[in-house]
Amino acid sequence: MTTSDQTTEIPFYSPQGNEESLFEHAYGNQLPVLLKGPTGSGKTRFIAHMAAQLNLPLYTVSCHDDLTASDLVGRYLIGDGQTVWNDGPLTRAVREGGICYLDEVVEARKDTTVVIHPLTDDRRILPIDRTGEILHAPDNFMLVVSYNPGYQSMMKGLKPSTRQRFISMSFNYLKPSQEQEVVEKETGIDAHMAKKLVAMANALRQLKDHDLEEGASTRLLVYTARLIKSGFDPVEACLAGLIEPLSDEEDVVSALMEVVYASFGK
Amino acid sequence: MEEHVGQIWDKLVTRLSDRSYKDSAVTLLDVSKPLGIFFRALGGDNALRIVESTATQHFAKRNWKHRVAGTGKYVELSWQDEDTLHLPKQINVFPDTDLNKDLYYWLAAINAHTLENPSAKARGLQGWFAYSQTITLEVLERFPGLQSRYDRLVGAYLQLRNIDEQFNEQEQSQEDAIAQALRKPGSLEQIPTSQYAPRPVLLWPHPNPPEVVDLSSRRAQPDKDVEGESTPSKPEESKKENKRRNAERVDMPDGKDGLILHRFESIFGFSEFLNINRSTEDDDEADQDKADNNADDMDFLSVARDNKTKGGKVKFDLDLPAESMDEVVLESDVFLPEWDYKKQIMQKDYCSVINYMHDTGESGELPENLRRTAKKLRHQLEALTTKRVWHRHQSEGSELDLDAYINYVGERYSGHKVEQPDLYQQLRSSERDLSCLLLADFSLSTDTWLSNEARIIDVIRDSLFLFSESLRNTGDQFSIYGFSSRNRGHIRFNTLKTFDEKYNGIVRSRIQAIKPGFYTRMGAAIRYAAAKLEQQDTQQRLLLILTDGKPNDLDRYEGRYGVEDTRRAIHEAKAKGLQTFCITIDDQGGEYLPHIFGTNGFTIIRKPEHLPQKLPILYANLTTNPS
Repeated sequence: MTTSDQTTEIPFYSPQGNEESLFEHAYGNQLPVLLKGPTGSGKTRFIAHMAAQLNLPLYTVSCHDDLTASDLVGRYLIGDGQTVWNDGPLTRAVREGGICYLDEVVEARKDTTVVIHPLTDDRRILPIDRTGEILHAPDNFMLVVSYNPGYQSMMKGLKPSTRQRFISMSFNYLKPSQEQEVVEKETGIDAHMAKKLVAMANALRQLKDHDLEEGASTRLLVYTARLIKSGFDPVEACLAGLIEPLSDEEDVVSALMEVVYASFGK
Repeated sequence: MEEHVGQIWDKLVTRLSDRSYKDSAVTLLDVSKPLGIFFRALGGDNALRIVESTATQHFAKRNWKHRVAGTGKYVELSWQDEDTLHLPKQINVFPDTDLNKDLYYWLAAINAHTLENPSAKARGLQGWFAYSQTITLEVLERFPGLQSRYDRLVGAYLQLRNIDEQFNEQEQSQEDAIAQALRKPGSLEQIPTSQYAPRPVLLWPHPNPPEVVDLSSRRAQPDKDVEGESTPSKPEESKKENKRRNAERVDMPDGKDGLILHRFESIFGFSEFLNINRSTEDDDEADQDKADNNADDMDFLSVARDNKTKGGKVKFDLDLPAESMDEVVLESDVFLPEWDYKKQIMQKDYCSVINYMHDTGESGELPENLRRTAKKLRHQLEALTTKRVWHRHQSEGSELDLDAYINYVGERYSGHKVEQPDLYQQLRSSERDLSCLLLADFSLSTDTWLSNEARIIDVIRDSLFLFSESLRNTGDQFSIYGFSSRNRGHIRFNTLKTFDEKYNGIVRSRIQAIKPGFYTRMGAAIRYAAAKLEQQDTQQRLLLILTDGKPNDLDRYEGRYGVEDTRRAIHEAKAKGLQTFCITIDDQGGEYLPHIFGTNGFTIIRKPEHLPQKLPILYANLTTNPS
């Protein structure tokens, strides 16, 4: 879990559509929000940006297989001869106000839905069984969850009853010109190289579903651009930053390298 | 003796005239997988299959060696039509393997590219000349990294191109123009003409790709009263290479002018139009072989469509289940849409589905030969049953975990610093909330014999039995349906077990009664099944499709049309939150399956007889959490 307090600088974010105003309206009306989209398409960055914009503390929880409700709500710790209650990130956000962001929420254990549900309807409460408290969320509390509909295993899906409690926004890859701008801004690489990289990433995205499970994300593109910017050989940088992360199969990797050669020469 | 000498001479002159480099040959088979990925990444159509191209006669002047040897008439070039990308079977133009491979990638690149101005794709010599340069320019501009590869190819190619050739003045200027256009694409607009066609340029697209006849328009007339079609009943062993032949579709000759009208000499010319009546008679295998040999010898095959199809093995009167007495129609005239990829529209209420059920009123038993396997599988799948177990080392729970507590206390008193200990245990049932709909293909092709004892349908029957036997105790909800179709108005959906029914003798008797139907209109069946599965209120909903081949039906539902509609239906199901998985025994399926179901959405069972045992195991693997 990470908590970021208000920073003076607002993280760079290039909007895909009306998501900023939608998010502000959702916040104004105390509505929870669900972000979905492929990995590396800017969900986390968007939340960081909006939290800074709205001047709210952000509590980010990256969900994993073993994340239970008490990881979110809090637990008693045994200290020297006494037990002390310790708030979890969700409880803290409810007490103090702010955005609680549950990243990849489908990864979490099923019992987490028990604490999420009463917070996402008009009750906006967080009952804590252990302490017997019932917390009412203040107006400046907002619950945001994200998930990637593409790649979870067959056993992991978001229950319709959970899904229907959120205002939902879809994230996708940016338009080439916009993505090029993002890559340039994030890394300071020159426009020519950024254009080449974006063209290549779009070529690789065409292979989604057929040859690859997931297309190359903007994040990977930024990483690759950073390698190139700091003087690493472009072809090698693409192999390490764009190709290897996409596939483990040797022949697929070598075929994808042909796509790299088609952009950078051989 | 004479023949022997002839053969030696033939070998000698062929070798003399042959300028290819056998040792450095690269075959399409070697590179087809990476080439396919490369092609799709550069913008090529996902649905295209890559196949070996047929040799095309090029009509250019040949040198004396070729003329003596009778070779060099044909060249393998690349082109694409709406279903397939044709690439040469092997490339052995260059002495260097890498260059030959480069040529493959170059051909894939120019075929993957769509012109910015499609009308530039003109026909005719001048059109081809201009178009080839345009496409080269555009590809190089889009993928500048290909430039060095292209330069290498052109350099090597021009060196090899005209060895042994002699040209007159016109031909020489033609050759010079091609060389210049290759070196500096876009620099010449016109190519000088000469008596012969220019020699084919291997780096350029096919000057006049074989016409694609629009099947739907051709088929419109004579096909209307086609009654049934059969596939050969023997599993086709791949004894010969699947050679592709140049073919065209012609109108059915009226059959009045027979063979006798041909003069005797013309028999030597195989490519004359011979009206050999082959389609409607039953053909045994010897005949088939002979026909294959003849086809190999011919330059060009003309195929006409008769309005009668091979009828010998179609027993559709016997198979027409609508008349059978023990059939109960559950739901009829359910209208479903179908996707037309050419027009990119959803055709509303295009298909009609009948949902029926066999009701023999009897209670069936599990066949004797399956009992042992069933028992074994039930045992194996026991892990899927929801059991309540103690989860130890929990941060909270109903009981204290004594072991953990003792450790904790011990560590603390010995002076260790201890983090938050997990001191509790809790009784929890493993989470499993799943329903599965198994949709099996009962098309006519399942009538094929796999061995002396079993047809595909028998294997499917056994699979359904074992699947149900294995799942009955796991607590997963499941239902089983089968489908077959005859045209869009008659899609038969056979209900074997619904979600609400218990697996019992009556279900067994229904499984016992399954038989092959007609065709495979998979899209509609998937849509109907998805609607059923969608009503299930479980967290996971799995649509399992069991099939033996491509989607196809009597009308235009074949080839790409069927594949695209099925793909669409799968996407719709996924959008509803259903998970789909396809199990097929079609070992040619690698080409179209990823397009329909996605990379990880299918599996191919190479040995169909293993399907019954494999299906439940596969199900278990699919539905258990890997972690």
